[in-house]
Amino acid sequence: MRVLVVEDEVRLASNIAQALRERCGFAVDCAENGLDGATMAEYKHYDLLLLDLMLPGLDGMGIVRQVRRRKDMTPILILTARDEPANVVELLNAGADDYLTKPFDLGELLARAKALIRRGKGASQPVLTVGRISLNTVEQTVRCEGQLIDLSPTEYRLFEYLIFRPRAIVSARELLEHLYDYNWQHHSNVIEAHISNLRKKLRAVGEETSIATLRGRGYRLEAPEKQL
Amino acid sequence: MRKSSLSRQLIGGVLLAEFLCAALFSGIAIGHEMHGRRRAVDVILRGHADSLLGAVRDAEDAEDNVTVDPSELVLPKQDVYEVVSPSGRVLGQSPGLSAELLAGLGSARKAGYFNFEVNQESYRGIRIDGVRIIDREDKGGLRRPVTVLYAGPTRNVWHEALEAVSFYLIAGVVLLLSTGVALVWFLRRRLSPLQELAAIAGRVSARSWDFVSPSAVLRTAELAPIAHSIEDLLKGLRESFERQRRLTGDAAHELKTSIAVVKSSLQLLSMSPRTTEQYEAGLESLLIDTERMEDLASRMLALARLEEAPAESSQSSDLQSTMRSVAERLRPLADLKRVVLEVGGSEANKVAMPAEDAEVLCSNLLMNALQHSSPTQCVTVTVASQDGVTELRVKDQGEGIPEAALPHVFDRFYRADRSRSRNSGGAGLGLSICKAIVDRSSGTIRIQSVVGSGTEVTVTWPTVRSDDAVSELNESAHR
Repeated sequence: MRVLVVEDEVRLASNIAQALRERCGFAVDCAENGLDGATMAEYKHYDLLLLDLMLPGLDGMGIVRQVRRRKDMTPILILTARDEPANVVELLNAGADDYLTKPFDLGELLARAKALIRRGKGASQPVLTVGRISLNTVEQTVRCEGQLIDLSPTEYRLFEYLIFRPRAIVSARELLEHLYDYNWQHHSNVIEAHISNLRKKLRAVGEETSIATLRGRGYRLEAPEKQL
Repeated sequence: MRKSSLSRQLIGGVLLAEFLCAALFSGIAIGHEMHGRRRAVDVILRGHADSLLGAVRDAEDAEDNVTVDPSELVLPKQDVYEVVSPSGRVLGQSPGLSAELLAGLGSARKAGYFNFEVNQESYRGIRIDGVRIIDREDKGGLRRPVTVLYAGPTRNVWHEALEAVSFYLIAGVVLLLSTGVALVWFLRRRLSPLQELAAIAGRVSARSWDFVSPSAVLRTAELAPIAHSIEDLLKGLRESFERQRRLTGDAAHELKTSIAVVKSSLQLLSMSPRTTEQYEAGLESLLIDTERMEDLASRMLALARLEEAPAESSQSSDLQSTMRSVAERLRPLADLKRVVLEVGGSEANKVAMPAEDAEVLCSNLLMNALQHSSPTQCVTVTVASQDGVTELRVKDQGEGIPEAALPHVFDRFYRADRSRSRNSGGAGLGLSICKAIVDRSSGTIRIQSVVGSGTEVTVTWPTVRSDDAVSELNESAHR
């Protein structure tokens, strides 16, 4: 999952980014002003936009309006210092999904971010299941009938992204865009290597669920017909 | 308290004036008519009395055995008369003359008109003393005096006069009523802009600032200035409210953001186990965050203090020495940034402001210039007094301020490039504090800037007189 943090207070942005990377395993990009933030949001690489309300250039509300005008459904979480009801109502009506008032609890921010991403992908529970495999987004663990499968952070993130959309074809490019931030070198063979490892680990626990490679098109999480 | 209504008073006043006019007009008309009628009555009375006298005069009887035959005369039925000789003999009388009427007629003592009342009925009478001349051809004739008393009721005169004027009276009342109604309608219509203005002004509250003067009000010469001044007043109030609200919002944003930084840093540190180095680095940045918060709080408090307390005009300080000491304190920073710092001017320059204010002003201006300078650039400070004006000039060769941002640089929490200034630590209060200090000491502050070639801040004050300066110098020496 990839998150865009638009916050002009650099220290706060870096704290949020670090927490999202460490605790959720998300890829995080930061923008220091509204205009940069709006431009970055246009790429649609992000699974969540985290916006400060008062920003130089273009304020958070402006970004929300711009994003929603494009019919972009990416979940938006607003950070605001103003908590008057009128402001909150205006924000939510403009298309924001949730808000947090500063100073916020970092744990709450992470929980809300995860919930919004989950919701944005059509799941309401933190545990996602395909076949005998279940993925817990809170613990960041993958189990096969209760037995823990040991995955590297990148493998977990790959699997998490795929499990939200079982049986859909996900291109290597999309995986790259959603799993890595701008500081990462984009090499699609990195993805191929991680997929291959993931496949081996799933096979090791005797799971029939597997990840198919569709040459030139991408990857697909195959799930047994009857269990879906 | 019952409020007096302008329209009600106007309508009432005009109606009263109209009514008085009508009443006066009617009174004059009635009076005039009555006068005419009375004269007519008098003429008629005299005519009747004369014809009676004539009837008696023509009698040839030398003796007083003359009688007036009523049937020979054509006189109004209600009139009464009596013809008597000086000896008291009644020569003639109207038929059925009652004793009371007779007494009334007899009340006339001399010739002329007279009034009397019988049985609550007013009569007007005339007495003519005539002379009967008998045998005119015979040596002058015999002279026999005779008195004619003639009277008629005046009751009808009043009625007739009233009838004659009634047309005017009725016309007056009709006019009064119709103009009254028209007036009420007209005045209400004409005064409606006033009511509209009152209604719209009444709707203005702290929540709704909308005040749009109706066009009818703006077309009224007397109301337009009121409407305009209300509009201006509301606009000013609204702007000041907005400014205040924005300011509170900005202050809250700054404070909450700094707290959020500290809180999130702490939570991030405690979220997962860290190495000692990580903890140390975290604590160090936390300390910097806290210092920034402290700085923000102290600047906000300083600004609040500057704006709240009135200036103590008695204090003054030497700008030159203050600037020198501030420059010495900041020289290590300038050296670190490899910025050349030059302070010009030598003589003492007294300015009417407390020493601590002067220090804050100098350090803020100098800090600003240093922060926006790059290595090898020069920051020049000059203090000079000339023609009763003391001038402080701080000039840098930094990146400059965009023209669009120049009018806002003194606004609180304003930063030309916020993301950038945040890194340099400013909360956008430095120049606001400078402006507050300068305003308090009745000086002026100007800022000129060209992008790419630098910024120049000029502060001017009226110079403090030298005798004041001497006493102030002694005072500061004591301190």
